[in-house]
Amino acid sequence: MFKALVLRELMTVLRQPRMLALQCGLVTLFTLLVAVRWPTDARVALSGVRSQEVFQLFALGLLAIVLLLLPVFPATNIVREKQQGTLALLLNTPLGPWRILFGKLLALSALAAIIFATSLPAASACYAMGGLSWSMLCSVYGLLVLAALEYLTLGLLISSHANSTDAAVRGTYGTMLGLSVLSLGPHYFFQGTKGALADGGEYLRSLSPFAAMMSLLSAGDMGGNGLISTTDVARRFMIGALVISTIAALWTVSRLNHTIFDQARAAGKISDDQSWQVQTARRLFFLVDPQRRSQGIGSFTNPVMVKEFRCRRFGRLHWLLRLVAVCAVLSLGLTYAATAGTLDWGVETIGSILVVMQVALVVLITPSLSSGLLSQEIESGGWQLLQMTPLSTWQIVWGKLLSVIVPLALILCATLPGYVVMVYIEPGMKLQVQRVVICLVATAVFAMLLSAAVGSLFSRTATATAAAYTVLLTICAVPLLIWLGRDAPFGHDVVETALQFNPIAAALSVIRLPGFRDYTLIPANWWFLGIVSVISLIVLLVRTGRVSRAR
Amino acid sequence: MAAPPPVSREPASNSSASDQPVVVLEQLSKKYGTFTALEDLSLKLYPGQILGLIGPNGAGKTTAIKILVGLIRPTSGTAQIAGADCVRDSHQIKRLVGYMPDRFGAYDNMRVREYLDFFGAAFGIRCKTRIARIAEVMEITGTEYMKDRFVESLSHGMQQRVGLARTLLHDPRVLILDEPVNGLDPQARIEMRDLLIRLAGLGKTLIVTSHILPELSRICDRVAILTHGRMRAFGTVEEIGRQVSQRRTMEAHLASSEQVAAAAQTIRRHLEADAEVTEVPLEATVRFRSARPEQELGEVLAQLVKANIRVTQFREVQTDLEEAFMTFTRPAESTPAASPSPGGVTHV
Repeated sequence: MFKALVLRELMTVLRQPRMLALQCGLVTLFTLLVAVRWPTDARVALSGVRSQEVFQLFALGLLAIVLLLLPVFPATNIVREKQQGTLALLLNTPLGPWRILFGKLLALSALAAIIFATSLPAASACYAMGGLSWSMLCSVYGLLVLAALEYLTLGLLISSHANSTDAAVRGTYGTMLGLSVLSLGPHYFFQGTKGALADGGEYLRSLSPFAAMMSLLSAGDMGGNGLISTTDVARRFMIGALVISTIAALWTVSRLNHTIFDQARAAGKISDDQSWQVQTARRLFFLVDPQRRSQGIGSFTNPVMVKEFRCRRFGRLHWLLRLVAVCAVLSLGLTYAATAGTLDWGVETIGSILVVMQVALVVLITPSLSSGLLSQEIESGGWQLLQMTPLSTWQIVWGKLLSVIVPLALILCATLPGYVVMVYIEPGMKLQVQRVVICLVATAVFAMLLSAAVGSLFSRTATATAAAYTVLLTICAVPLLIWLGRDAPFGHDVVETALQFNPIAAALSVIRLPGFRDYTLIPANWWFLGIVSVISLIVLLVRTGRVSRAR
Repeated sequence: MAAPPPVSREPASNSSASDQPVVVLEQLSKKYGTFTALEDLSLKLYPGQILGLIGPNGAGKTTAIKILVGLIRPTSGTAQIAGADCVRDSHQIKRLVGYMPDRFGAYDNMRVREYLDFFGAAFGIRCKTRIARIAEVMEITGTEYMKDRFVESLSHGMQQRVGLARTLLHDPRVLILDEPVNGLDPQARIEMRDLLIRLAGLGKTLIVTSHILPELSRICDRVAILTHGRMRAFGTVEEIGRQVSQRRTMEAHLASSEQVAAAAQTIRRHLEADAEVTEVPLEATVRFRSARPEQELGEVLAQLVKANIRVTQFREVQTDLEEAFMTFTRPAESTPAASPSPGGVTHV
């Protein structure tokens, strides 16, 4: 029976034609990763430096691919079964929660194994070049397996808690991004210092598979600024991954019983019907009480925009206001700390923190807001109803885009006070700050339109969300991977060309963050963002027009 | 919520409210490559009438509906609602028609009042008018008590009511409802039926598809049976029943089951040779099917009385819609397509 479960899980995914395309794509990609850096001259470096350089690039690329591709499978697994009703059938079989979880985990691990298997020819080529030991090869694959296990179990856990597939995808990718990329942030700013913050940053960094991989490959520290860390990050990551996987698996098992369905229908409680004390308390806590009876939509307001605000859980006004408040307080606090001399950071470092914070928020939030603009309507059957209203296609699209523009504008405005203080302290930075703001606005527009365009190509929201995250994260992550190999194997020109496609790098180079200040990325980056945004808008409009057209 | 009193309905005539038909379909066809989804569909509907569109899966019901609401373009033929062409005047059609698809179209985290408010705003109803209109449609559909509930948390029956409220918001002249009673429990089905009758009473023209044929036979003025994209029958339930068979089914209830055999013998003697006579002793009833005219059937009753058989009831059994449906859908290939007569009654 257990075998049947594993087979069903695996066959459901492998039967899809896109899986074949994915495997072919992966083999091509891995071949290209190695071929691009394969030595073209007749000389062979006996030390194997060249081989190690190629392998570093290959290993980091493989890790990035695993992190981008794999989470979507566990994220949609349990929640989709719950929606389709097959989970109830599964729970009614003699298979217990343990066997169900391990069946799912085994099938998903087999998918990871397929990805690893497609990479083996390229890894063998690196090994054949010499300079690589078996132990190194095994350690890298061991780390990849643990990283895969960690994100698979986390994905399943999030899926068991989610009520919709797109929410599960959002949650899983958000967690993945937080653990693997954002966890590097504190260490970058506190490295070289002593104290709890520096130690905390060091521990947090150990959660990132990128930091662990870099450490394992002896490729220096990620964003190390020349400082050498003595911490065994790879070992810490492996322990951390095992602990996180175990906790996530136990937690998921505790969810796999009747309680997963045992939810009362929302009674639709309204604050207006409660006592004035409760109403006041809620007003103070929420700022904008989500349970208040809403007013009618204004006669001159785009109803689609209001609808989008009302029907999304993530991105509702009370959460956005909190987010904006946190950003504003943080930016002002950091700037004040730098001014008062309590932090030994330059204005550029403070500016970099603000930029990283905003870009991270934009990249994390935008796909979840805009990727499902069209697919969500098609999936829920709402599109047919919208078509039956006198609203034009452009009014519908504009209303939907407005519902993304407003939260993004709020996020961007949140750190403006910090920048204003920065310019006040250092008037010479005015031009830099102006350019940074342009970079951030362009990034937000680019992320919104690209996510919406990619999402419009799919009719399922979960697929649309996953595809939008994958495309956006690829654009943001691949140039940074190349930047990591800026000393070797890539030269200055290659890195600069790659970074010109990256909105984060452009903003960081403008603010003159060490490591990015040597590259001239604008206006090339602005041209790239502008052209892609226009193309994305055209794609979105064409797709919407096609869906709306009477057949 | 107190259930509204049951509503009875007399079929609306073709000229009850107006001589002008509201819905006019003329030789409407839709082809997808070599596959014909709909072929030469022609019919007329008048204000206040309810049309039941029935047919097996893939018969062309949804295609016909989607052409009417402007979601699909016909390959040939015309469809008009209140004089507006469903292809050319699609903007006007949106204001004339209230369409309730078989899928509810719920938005997450939205309360019923917010949901109706959104669709009211999408139809361009001004804020103050909209608030009043929402209250009005909620009252008509009996959804006031669920105004603060989240739409996705409503039961199927509740969602159908909210869906109907949504279609009524812009006060359309024609309501097109795809499977409105599908999946509803008997109580909710009765409530929905009464609601549809009440809407027809308000002068709305309704086109309803359903697989639950007894429901349709109770509320529809006209029924159209579609199979393989062609209309096989059109008219009132009674007219369709007569189209099914030229023979009438009669029933004689007796005072005692002991007289059943004698009654059957008498009946056989006075009917044509191939008439079907069935004895049902348990019900003290004799059923028979005959093509004889009314007067000759009266003679049968007289003969029964003359033979000292105590008859408590002697009546015609109406052919029900299910029987008609099965008759038209089973030998679909052999049945000729129906064409409407000027009065709106179709002869097969």
